[in-house]
Amino acid sequence: MIYRHILSGARIAISILAAVTILMIVDPAVAAGIEIAVGAPDTVSVGQEVEVKAVLSQNGVPVEGAEVALTYQASLAGESARVEIATGTTDETGIAVMIYEQRADANGEMQVVYLGPDADPVEPYVLTIAVESAGPQLYEFEAGVKIPFVNGTLVILVISGVWFLIGLSAVYLVRVGWDGRGTSEASTPEDGSMWISTLLSTVAVITAIGMVIVFIRSPVSNTHIKDPHQYDRTPIAYVGVGFSYVGFGLNDESSAQTGDPIADGSVLYFKYGCAACHGLSGRGAVVGAPLVDEIGSFGGFSEDTREGPKGMSEYDEATISEENLQKIYAYLKDEG
Amino acid sequence: MDTLNNWRERLISKTTRPTLITTYKYWLWFGFLLVITGNGVFQYWKQWQHGLYVTDMRDRISWGLYITAFVFFIGISHAGTLISAILRATKAGWRAPVTRIAEFITAVALLIGASFVVIDMGRPERIFNVYLFGRWQSPIMWDVMAITTYLTASVIYLSAPMIPDLALYRDRLADKVGVVRNFIYRTLSVNWKGSPKQQKLLGKAITIMMLVIIPIAVSVHTVVSWIFSMTLRAGWNTSIFGVLFVAGAIFSGVATLIIIMAILRRIYHWEEYLTEKHFLYLGYLLAAFGAFMVYVNLSEYLTEGFNLEEAGLFAFRQLFLEDFAAMFWFYIIGGLLGPVVLMLVPKTRTIAGVVTAAILVVVAMFLERYFIVVTGLRVPLMPYEAANYAPTFVEWSIFAAGLAIFCLLITIALKIFPMLAIWEMTEEHAADISDRPTEEPNMVGADIVGSLTSTERLPDAGPPAEGGGS
Repeated sequence: MIYRHILSGARIAISILAAVTILMIVDPAVAAGIEIAVGAPDTVSVGQEVEVKAVLSQNGVPVEGAEVALTYQASLAGESARVEIATGTTDETGIAVMIYEQRADANGEMQVVYLGPDADPVEPYVLTIAVESAGPQLYEFEAGVKIPFVNGTLVILVISGVWFLIGLSAVYLVRVGWDGRGTSEASTPEDGSMWISTLLSTVAVITAIGMVIVFIRSPVSNTHIKDPHQYDRTPIAYVGVGFSYVGFGLNDESSAQTGDPIADGSVLYFKYGCAACHGLSGRGAVVGAPLVDEIGSFGGFSEDTREGPKGMSEYDEATISEENLQKIYAYLKDEG
Repeated sequence: MDTLNNWRERLISKTTRPTLITTYKYWLWFGFLLVITGNGVFQYWKQWQHGLYVTDMRDRISWGLYITAFVFFIGISHAGTLISAILRATKAGWRAPVTRIAEFITAVALLIGASFVVIDMGRPERIFNVYLFGRWQSPIMWDVMAITTYLTASVIYLSAPMIPDLALYRDRLADKVGVVRNFIYRTLSVNWKGSPKQQKLLGKAITIMMLVIIPIAVSVHTVVSWIFSMTLRAGWNTSIFGVLFVAGAIFSGVATLIIIMAILRRIYHWEEYLTEKHFLYLGYLLAAFGAFMVYVNLSEYLTEGFNLEEAGLFAFRQLFLEDFAAMFWFYIIGGLLGPVVLMLVPKTRTIAGVVTAAILVVVAMFLERYFIVVTGLRVPLMPYEAANYAPTFVEWSIFAAGLAIFCLLITIALKIFPMLAIWEMTEEHAADISDRPTEEPNMVGADIVGSLTSTERLPDAGPPAEGGGS
């Protein structure tokens, strides 16, 4: 360990020297930006704790208090994204130490990227850390144990077999009706066998179509990650992809100034976070008591809000003005 | 031969009694059921409008009375499988008078049970997403598959052995019932004339369905149990659930059958056919399954309790000592040991004793399903206070409506279908009085149908012509 530290320390020293040398000889315009130099081991093994040191300097001066991140290219179920595996902040010598645990049995391209505080873009530092082939990786890309022949096809075969026998039995019943058809007397004008064949073929066809649809659409993963856009569900967030929240402007003052106290109250009810405990429509939830039907007089409501009974936060005049409180009260009263 | 004919004529007149005679009591009962159903429909309308908020199901305990009802009714639906298929396959001759009722219970209970899944959904119109977005990896999908298959198989298995009886109704009752029933008899009796070829074909159909429906039924309740046991929840996550559910299903199915048999016997005076022997045999089955259930519970709770994990501690306390202790001990002592004791003591080995045992079992099995659903969800997965659940009026109303519709469908079926398996019973009776045990007919194959109808066809040849003339 000590040896490794000395080694990485030596590397850092060399890197700094190299960086300083480069800074001295390159164009001053480039040198004005922040430079990243990195010290990291060349080879690691799975399960090892890896220390990566980033050195940030600007015009040869160490940059203090800069945020950096170590990222690598990850892929899961066909999706590829850049994932942060460690972050760090530089100290007064401009060095940020980032530690991560090597889990995968191979690393893609790794980068040390500058996160802030400056807004100017900084060229990321690209590095490669090889992984020793020995040892399994610590997580699996696919879940479960694959047993030959125990799969969806077997399920389909079993279900098909059962439905074949049901169908066979129904065919015998249809033949019963068929056999009696010619000898039909006046009292039985219909071909009575038709209903059962119709019923059975309908059910069988619907079920068969259902099975085929499900089977064809059944994806390889458990998350439908390949085809999420067809799903009317919560959007799936990918690693490394930011999701912009498009919401309702609760903090916009004008949204609670419509002139209708009930409409304003419904906005304020969310704005002040009442809904978090008392439920979306004030009917109570796990933590908060129901408000709608048990609200009582405004005096009591106001007192409770200001004092915060049973562990509830206190909301004083500075937080919720009397006017806004009356609007919330109007809204809750209207809901009841 | 003449004795057999007289016996059969009496049987036919007794069986057609509910179809032909309708008293004011029937309509009172019918109206009573309609009122309960109506209230349930109204409460469901409220649920449709306001969402599942009108129930007491919340984020922590998200399954309640509806899922309990689902498991309960699917369980009852196993009556037909045991009585009809297993006893038919094992050639137990005494089953003949009870099979038809059992098969009706199966089909009706399955319909009600499956609807409770939809009732439990906040957005019922999304039921088709099961097909559109379903995945084989989901136990819900297995459930849909198993129940669809079982429902189809049950309907065929109910209708196939009924064909000769429906043909009899078609011929005998043509001028005694209205257009609708005539149409039903004509259609459902699939041109049955009792020819040897038809008998052979029907025998094959019944044999296949009888053999196929047993594994289907077992799979159905196993898969229902997997909905619980495939999760990582203390109290649910156990391999014995499949066995517990299948045994419990047959247990409650037999109990329901006993209760309905006792009611029909009393109303329609079927004492001659549903004798004490049938009740006692079913009572013994009940006791045997009760003992087996005791064993399964012992095996489960002893293993889980011996190497008690942290979450299991909570699950055990609430079941054995705290909130659910009353239900749990009633289930063990009243519902499982009760029938065993009632059948062991000679004094209670009567029809009344069997019916008492059956009522205890139905109540206990309902409670069992309830506490399995609720206690499993109640165990906190994180250090928070355990949530509580109590069904609301809406939930009770809809559950009551489920029971009412169950009774209603059977009540309507009484007016249309032969509730006693006339040809099978005649067959059984013929074997009894023939006094020649070596010539006992094959209970599964075509012989049963053949030996019966070949001797019985002639007396029946008259009525069809009359019916045709009218």
